[in-house]
Amino acid sequence: MWLQRNWDCNVILSKLIPYKVSNIMSRIGVFICHCGENISATVDCERVAKASSEMEGVEFATDYKYMCSDPGQTLIKTAIKEHHLDGVVVGSCSPRMHEATFRRACSEAGMNPYLCEIANLREHVSWVHEKCEATTNKAIEIVHGLVEKVKRNRPLDAIEVPVTKKALVIGGGIAGIQASLDIANCGQQVILIEKGPSIGGHMSQLSETFPTLDCSQCILTPRMVEVAQNPNITLYTYAELEKLEGFIGNFKATIRLQAKSVDDSKCTGCGLCTTKCPQNNIPSEFNEGLGTRTAIFTPFPQAVPNKPVIDKEHCKYYQKGKCKVCQKFCPTGAIEYDKPDEFITEDIGAVVVTTGFNVLKTEFFPEYGYGKYKDVINGLQFERLASASGPTLGEIRRPSDGQIPKKIVFIACCGSRDPAKGIPYCSKICCMYTAKHAMLYQHKVHDGDSTVFYMDVRAGGKNYEEFVRRAVEEDHVNYVRGRVARVYEKSGKLIVKGVDTLMGAKPVEIEADMVVLATAGVANKGAEELAQRMHISYDPYHFFTEAHPKLKPVETNTAGIFLAGACQAPKDIPETVASASGAAVKVVSLLSRPTLIREPLVAVVNRCAPPLFSTCVGCFMCQTICPYQAIEREEIKDRKTGKVLKVIARINPGLCQGCGTCVSFCRSKSIDIQGYTNEEMYAEVTALLNK
Amino acid sequence: MEENNNNFEPRIIAFVCNWCTYAGADLTGTSRIKYASNVEIVRFPCTGRIDFMLLLKAFAGGSDGIIISGCHPSDCHYTSGNFHARRRWMVFRDMLDFMGIDIERIRWSWVSAAEGAKWADVVNDTVDKIRKMGPYTEYKKAAMFLEEEKICHD
Amino acid sequence: MTKITEKATSLLSEGTVKMIIGYEMGTERPRPLFCHTAEECEKLIMNAECKNNLAVYLTKKEIIGEEKIAVIGNYYVVKTVIQLQRENQINLDNLMVMTADENGEVITFTTIDEMKEYTDTHEPAPDPKMVAALEKIDKMSREERWEYWKSELSKCIRCYACRAACPLCYCNRCVTEVNCPQWIEPWAAPLSNMEWQINRVMHMSGRCVGCGECAAACPLDLPIGLLCKKMGMDIKSTFGEWKDGNVLSTYNIGDKENFIK
Repeated sequence: MWLQRNWDCNVILSKLIPYKVSNIMSRIGVFICHCGENISATVDCERVAKASSEMEGVEFATDYKYMCSDPGQTLIKTAIKEHHLDGVVVGSCSPRMHEATFRRACSEAGMNPYLCEIANLREHVSWVHEKCEATTNKAIEIVHGLVEKVKRNRPLDAIEVPVTKKALVIGGGIAGIQASLDIANCGQQVILIEKGPSIGGHMSQLSETFPTLDCSQCILTPRMVEVAQNPNITLYTYAELEKLEGFIGNFKATIRLQAKSVDDSKCTGCGLCTTKCPQNNIPSEFNEGLGTRTAIFTPFPQAVPNKPVIDKEHCKYYQKGKCKVCQKFCPTGAIEYDKPDEFITEDIGAVVVTTGFNVLKTEFFPEYGYGKYKDVINGLQFERLASASGPTLGEIRRPSDGQIPKKIVFIACCGSRDPAKGIPYCSKICCMYTAKHAMLYQHKVHDGDSTVFYMDVRAGGKNYEEFVRRAVEEDHVNYVRGRVARVYEKSGKLIVKGVDTLMGAKPVEIEADMVVLATAGVANKGAEELAQRMHISYDPYHFFTEAHPKLKPVETNTAGIFLAGACQAPKDIPETVASASGAAVKVVSLLSRPTLIREPLVAVVNRCAPPLFSTCVGCFMCQTICPYQAIEREEIKDRKTGKVLKVIARINPGLCQGCGTCVSFCRSKSIDIQGYTNEEMYAEVTALLNK
Repeated sequence: MEENNNNFEPRIIAFVCNWCTYAGADLTGTSRIKYASNVEIVRFPCTGRIDFMLLLKAFAGGSDGIIISGCHPSDCHYTSGNFHARRRWMVFRDMLDFMGIDIERIRWSWVSAAEGAKWADVVNDTVDKIRKMGPYTEYKKAAMFLEEEKICHD
Repeated sequence: MTKITEKATSLLSEGTVKMIIGYEMGTERPRPLFCHTAEECEKLIMNAECKNNLAVYLTKKEIIGEEKIAVIGNYYVVKTVIQLQRENQINLDNLMVMTADENGEVITFTTIDEMKEYTDTHEPAPDPKMVAALEKIDKMSREERWEYWKSELSKCIRCYACRAACPLCYCNRCVTEVNCPQWIEPWAAPLSNMEWQINRVMHMSGRCVGCGECAAACPLDLPIGLLCKKMGMDIKSTFGEWKDGNVLSTYNIGDKENFIK
């Protein structure tokens, strides 16, 4: 037997290998579309069809004017049935247009849809080349490549993944509240967990919201009550996510319920304990350190649930073993000391992360006093001063001596847009809330003088620009374009040294009674650990990363985990609510199906007979390559003894998105990806070059 | 350098990713921008899927040049496929160059789904360059080595 | 009795390990030795001539069995053990790793960190012949390099001794044995030999410890050690370190190249 080596050797050799039954027994149908004149004007479709009919393994080839039309599809279906085709190649427009159409047609004719491939003869051939023989030859070669590929295609079935019909929302701010309500109102179960003792988030700390100057708590608290009363929402406060295992539709969440030391079922929320507690000088977190609270406390009067918790770090009993006054006075005996944290596990179908953000404290700024000056405060602290339920009952007073400030300076962009401070981004909301603060001040202190030092005024939302103009024109807030180099204290006043760049960098010095810094919005502490616990990505600033910045702003790369609100990036309330509703709809669409149907174009680790079980050697170098954490460890156990014989890789078909990076990385070629297998791609490439 | 054969038309295979460059090439078609017909496109879900051996198979099969193109860094539809591909090419290219394989015949590019005009430029540039370089005969000769010593079994 | 023999004998007699892999003097040069008894331990040596990479046996269950063993190897053996552990191929509970310094003092490693510290500080000097050969190839033009490698690799007979000698080539089905599709043509010809070497070196990227056993094992003395060395140097200078996985299974957003436009 002559074994003649030439360029076709690969193809010849492959024909000799008995495995390649498909070459000899294939029955491929080739259908060349004229696409009206779109293809036929430059490509000789009849010649392509004729050449296709002469290709090895092609049983039937024809051309037609409009393959995607009803008669065209019927042509394909009839040919499949009459000629018993086991593969179809359609030479037509781009697969991105009609691959689904032709695959559906094949499926209706009884052939597996994944045995159908599309040759792009329009966008890649007829529309970009001149009418000549070379163009038709190229069309023939492309069809040949796909004929060889489709011979190796295997029938594939869509993957079904069961779905647990329950959602978990992490974070009880306005984003979490909105998302929970939207999901619950669609009839799905929701578990809402909040780290603090009450839901509400930063929105509950605000006095009035821009641009309408609505009372923040007035619009928020009805929603908070709705959450508590909605039968589909289970609310856990003082709770954190301990662990998240599983994958989309099948998560298992372990939640730590911190010991509140108060039995919610007995507590009536009368508040007597908070009036009796001797530890009453603890700086209040809700009031951003401007007021105090007791060790047993509710953060604010409208808290939901309105039941107190004991702060173990400041409670006399927990620290020194004495006191127990609250227990003595409690009329219902609801105080229970020394209970351990409880852990509960819940089966979850989808997760929405709404953990929110924080703003930098004044300690961050050496040029503005390192937080030493009591009258230099940040935006959130000003909100507490302006708030009717705040430490000064809504009057703007200096924290140092309680006097009403006559001159206030607002400094915008503190930390934001400053690469030197590690925060190059814009925090988005500060321009608006600074204008709001200045307006509120002017409304409360009619003879007050307010100056805003700004870089740019970013007021891009609906009615935002008009709002800022009102501050300037009606409330006479002075806007000075320039930065503030230093703030220092002198004889009880704060000396602000800034500059006015619109007056040629003229230095401006103001003796202010109070300075409000619009500090940068930053990710919450613990955001990195939470992201790692859930296996979602985060950016260098620890904001969580969306799947696509334009088209998938509420999804993450981890299937089944969604984002909403400021944990993704600083945003204002309307955007937060919109993203929360967006995430809710994604969750509901996921949970409303009995099973999740996914395209089967996923990677698979090979398996074979014992004692090898798989050619995978278990090096797990592939685990680091997968962006979706879809590669798991699988133990192969002896059936009788249960002893672990081998640990190999396994790809979770529910998580794999089908990129194929692990396939080309695997040294032993143990992983292959359905739809783009090694054999298929090899056959396509070699066939393109060999006639 | 090979002499320029007036009738020589290079054969070039392009390995592209489905989400960016394939869509970009579709846009070139929709925009009716004309380019040289020497290039045939093979579609992959992601540049990360492109096995480096396929490039060598393309050269051995008779290709005179290769184009590899995918999404711009940070734009990969699968987040990181093109980052892994980039590293793979950096190592592979050095290896090929060390062994004397002509890496000038391989053109790597990032073409996004909106860059229809750029795709046409990449194709035309590469075809012109390979045409001037001539066919990759030395590789094909090595692939045909055994033909010169016909092995005969009776 | 040398200190190595002393240590080995005591390990065997205490029953801590069932077998010790080390070196003994062969007819012309040192060779591996598998000791099960105190008598065999007397032959154990360690010197600069001990070049074989004993870690090649550590992935072969049929040789080392299921019980705890010890290996007294050279610098490269320790380095290979670190890499094998990273790739989940060995169980450190069942393996004692030791080496010996110039004075014959036995150094026992108990953790991977200790091994890493040792390999970071005791790297042997590069072989001047290799350095000179690499410089020579660097100066060649592309066509000269192609001719050089084509002529060298045309001698290759595809015995796969390089693969057998390499401790990190432990795949139970090598890529050359995959015939659907046939990635690397199985016959010996310059191009297919080049394909084999390219594949071998690409699979070694980021993993090769530089022991040089591949070149030492080659019956035709082909310069394949240069390929691994060159690749190792390039990767180290371009990519530095990576935390988990392999150089090609991780990435840096800042990876800089000048050829993708």
